[in-house]
Amino acid sequence: MNRLTLAASALALGALPATAQEARDVLDTYANIAEAAYGDSHHTALALKAAIHELVTDPSQDKLEAARAAWISARVPYQQTEVFRFGNPIVDDWEGRVNSWPLDEGLIDYVDASYGGPTDENEAAVVNVIGHPSFSLSGQTVDASEISTDLLADVLHEAAGVEANVATGYHAIEFLLWGQDLNGHGPGAGNRPWTDFAVGDSCTGGNCDRRAAYLLAATGLLVDDLEWMAAQWAEGGAAREAVLADETAGLTAILTGMGSLSYGEQAGERMRLGLMLNDPEEEHDCFSDNTHNSHYYDGMGVRNVYLGEYVRTDGTLVSGPSLSDLVSAKDPALDAEMQAKLDTTMAALGAIRTAAEQGFAYDMMLERGNAQGEDLVMAGVDGLIDQTRSIERVVAALGLNGVSIEGSDSLDAPDAVFQ
Amino acid sequence: MRPALVALCVTLSTPVLAQDQAEVITDVVQNHVMPRYAALDEAAAKLDAAAQSDCHPESDDLRAAFNEAFDTWIGVSHLRFGPSETDDRAYALAFWPDPRGDTPSALRSLIAAEDPVVVSQKGYAEVSIAARGFYPLEFLLYDEEFATLAPESYRCALVQAIARDIAANAAAIYADWTGDYATLLQSPGENAAYRSAADVIQEFYDALGAGLEFTSDSRLARPMGSFDDPKPARAEARRSGRSLRHVQLSLAALSDLSARLAPSGSVAQDLEAAFEQAERLAAGLGDPIFAGVATPEGRFRVEALKTSVDRISALVNEELGPALGVAAGFNAADGD
Repeated sequence: MNRLTLAASALALGALPATAQEARDVLDTYANIAEAAYGDSHHTALALKAAIHELVTDPSQDKLEAARAAWISARVPYQQTEVFRFGNPIVDDWEGRVNSWPLDEGLIDYVDASYGGPTDENEAAVVNVIGHPSFSLSGQTVDASEISTDLLADVLHEAAGVEANVATGYHAIEFLLWGQDLNGHGPGAGNRPWTDFAVGDSCTGGNCDRRAAYLLAATGLLVDDLEWMAAQWAEGGAAREAVLADETAGLTAILTGMGSLSYGEQAGERMRLGLMLNDPEEEHDCFSDNTHNSHYYDGMGVRNVYLGEYVRTDGTLVSGPSLSDLVSAKDPALDAEMQAKLDTTMAALGAIRTAAEQGFAYDMMLERGNAQGEDLVMAGVDGLIDQTRSIERVVAALGLNGVSIEGSDSLDAPDAVFQ
Repeated sequence: MRPALVALCVTLSTPVLAQDQAEVITDVVQNHVMPRYAALDEAAAKLDAAAQSDCHPESDDLRAAFNEAFDTWIGVSHLRFGPSETDDRAYALAFWPDPRGDTPSALRSLIAAEDPVVVSQKGYAEVSIAARGFYPLEFLLYDEEFATLAPESYRCALVQAIARDIAANAAAIYADWTGDYATLLQSPGENAAYRSAADVIQEFYDALGAGLEFTSDSRLARPMGSFDDPKPARAEARRSGRSLRHVQLSLAALSDLSARLAPSGSVAQDLEAAFEQAERLAAGLGDPIFAGVATPEGRFRVEALKTSVDRISALVNEELGPALGVAAGFNAADGD
């Protein structure tokens, strides 16, 4: 084949959508990253469970701190999975059990008087199930004498159809490990005493046995849920199969996840809103003050799936053919633009993280009139919004135009229209 | 039969030409966006004037000015890009839905502390968005608890501060549009924000989609709740009896935008028919604050209205998008 023909065929190829094989390889990498990241989330949750078991068996300040450290470690791989949420219904339908936020924590345990009472939106905002073996919910009496996984997952979670009734997942566990952060915009996170888990007369906050039982049950559920999701992404699992079933839909799932997490969820709901409300509790990890890390690893997850790379918690690199390769083959300038935007966002999220590690916590950044905090947070918001514009251009460049993101009968099952 | 069908689809989905795109952009900017933001600016200034002359919650003039200004806001509430997003202006005009009750709690804190931040416009612009804009003002004018909270002098100052802040935001948005944003949209390719006419069309298309989604998900689905657990208290602006009115005003605005975007032919006809259907159901509902969602019959009627709005969204995705050569983009309501 001479040079001219080669150039001509490359041109011809460039005008076509990605070949099925290329797209399939990219989707494989995507599913491999999901499997690894959910697998890591499962393993770090097991370590958290072990630390919590230690805490409730033999409570002490050291054991409480070890459990908190295990929780923070467990967040690192999990936050990098959030990019799989919005494009994959199997993840989105499940996610509420694992990472629901924000929560009306008074549902679970005692709270400070400043928390207030039931609201127009949530009659169960102050149920305090740890303190009450029996209580009334939507007109029914609930027997909570035994704190079981069924009680948490089936009765309390999203009770009365209110999303703020979060009884399971990372943030319920976070609340039990740290307690409310009562420092407002000042320094300091939640400061639950270890004696909230002590036995006998040393018990503070009352009902220490029920608190321990709640913590164990919630952690057990988290471990099981993560194990299940990791299996869905393994060879033959439902999530992997769904992504691989159709190249166009699979690529759309990747980009939908990147765009929806970047824009509406992270830039909007989790960052800009908190800044605009000046509310120190409007931060993703409000009890532990770990929000800077949660935002950072969310951003990293978006970049991971574009570059086709994920560094596992043991340091192993999972990588393969990527969306970046596909885009680069069609429009190298757009790929460079996308990568640069992702890097800009990571630098901005990194600056928030560095500042927080130096003692300028995320909730302090949200204070009314705090210009430095606003600048730091808004740089992250701007980066995320800006990268969403490039994600839209990638959608167009890959010829995914016209694919309904919501899905609909007439597109997904054209034959059904004629039946 | 199959080959013919495929051929038909290809013809229908041929994207509009570049020169047509430029005409569409000019039409949308000059006849949809600009007059609506001008109306908001004017009505917000009147609201401010009314509040400064009589801050009493039951003042007829103040309430009339409030309702008129709120109407004009709903008419632009789908246009969430550019000047409305600078300095969080749109958020500060309209913080809703409010699932955690941030608005009443922010107002209570200000009133309890008699926070002196109300004295300056610049100061009030730093306050939580939950205490700024139309929704907290509605609480102060129409909610029984807030209309009587002591001390009255502070409440008055607060009403005036919010009205002044609304007017300043509306004026700033309109000033930016007349300043250079209208020109920017009409000269894509010469700026970084819009690289081509297609980028601008995408922006309008996203606004249409996001507006429909907001009306369906927030204005209608939220008060509907579930069959066993309806949530009429979540209806938008129910204290001032404006919930259904907002659905109607938003449909009218979105219908206008849709008609300007859709190329003539079957896509335009389908969309027009779908909007007419939704507007007819809304006009015949006779339930201004969706109180009826608590009964099976009332709920069924609100649900029918919601279905008709979702039908428009489906047409926008499946017919208008391909006709314009754009795909559904991302909007601020994505996520959960």
